[in-house]
Amino acid sequence: MGIPLAIKNRVYLDRRMSQQTDEPTGVNAPTTEIGHDEYDPIGTLALIGLYFLILVILWFFMYFVEFLGNDPTVIGSIVMGVL
Amino acid sequence: MNIHAYEKLWLIAALVLIVGFIVTITYGSVGLGIAMIDDSEDAIEPSELSEDERFSDPRVEQVGENEYEAYVVAQTFIFQPDPIEVPENSEVTFYVTSPDVIHSFSVVGTNINTMVIPGEVSTMTAEFDEPEEYGIICNEYCGADHHNMEGELHVLPEDEFDMTELSVEAPDEVELGDEAAFDVSVENGQLDDLETTIELEVGDETLTEDVTVAGDSTEETTLTVDTDDLGEGDHDWTVTVDDHDESGTLSVVEELDEGDDDE
Repeated sequence: MGIPLAIKNRVYLDRRMSQQTDEPTGVNAPTTEIGHDEYDPIGTLALIGLYFLILVILWFFMYFVEFLGNDPTVIGSIVMGVL
Repeated sequence: MNIHAYEKLWLIAALVLIVGFIVTITYGSVGLGIAMIDDSEDAIEPSELSEDERFSDPRVEQVGENEYEAYVVAQTFIFQPDPIEVPENSEVTFYVTSPDVIHSFSVVGTNINTMVIPGEVSTMTAEFDEPEEYGIICNEYCGADHHNMEGELHVLPEDEFDMTELSVEAPDEVELGDEAAFDVSVENGQLDDLETTIELEVGDETLTEDVTVAGDSTEETTLTVDTDDLGEGDHDWTVTVDDHDESGTLSVVEELDEGDDDE
């Protein structure tokens, strides 16, 4: 437990850990604590955004091109399916 | 609760995505009328299909203007009728069942695709706008010859499509001097009246008769030819109604050999 997290040459320490003990164990490196809103994982955001975009494009391709473009298709009223 | 700005963004985007999925599916079913194949039809006894009025004679029937119903039986290892013929610009409801094992009814390259379960009637409606020939395959393993189980669905241009059936009964042998009677029956499977001409060619003689066959009925008529005009010998005959014809040979003999049956 209490493994320090190294990001961009800075070392962050698990907060739960730092509350329990003032001295980091095992690593003799300077520690900087940042606040909640200072944490800015822009790379992760970009990556997830890209995944999200791919997901949306694939959905449109699958539904509107592959499914609706595959005429003729089974039609009927929605009520028929419920009854 | 302190939620990070990026996390909020992600939560909102994920919710919007889910709403987007629901909106597209709703648009498909409400806006475009896309339906799922369900079990709304009553179950039937698979061993008694030959007594079922829908499936004893697998066929295509016209039920309204541009509306057709196709009763299809999928069995090891064929589809009946084969080919299924429907006109363009039509709305066709397929009723498919199986007398033996589980098959499928898959119109290749389209979304018309269903399982065919013995005792159940799979029902689906589709619109056909353009003339085209589709293949039908079975994609549920149904036995040793499953890979050869295929059928065809022909969407025909309107001027090539008809549901007319012609049958002719004619004698094989007629005594010279007698009249040869050709009993012609024209069946009109469509709902509109069919105005057409029956043409009988026998030897050098040509007889025509204009008939009007009412919708969904059969018109029978008899064309008679005087054998004196034909003369003795074998005469090929052909009865033509629109694109349908039936032919045979009529023998005109000096005297009918009464003993023919005993030989």
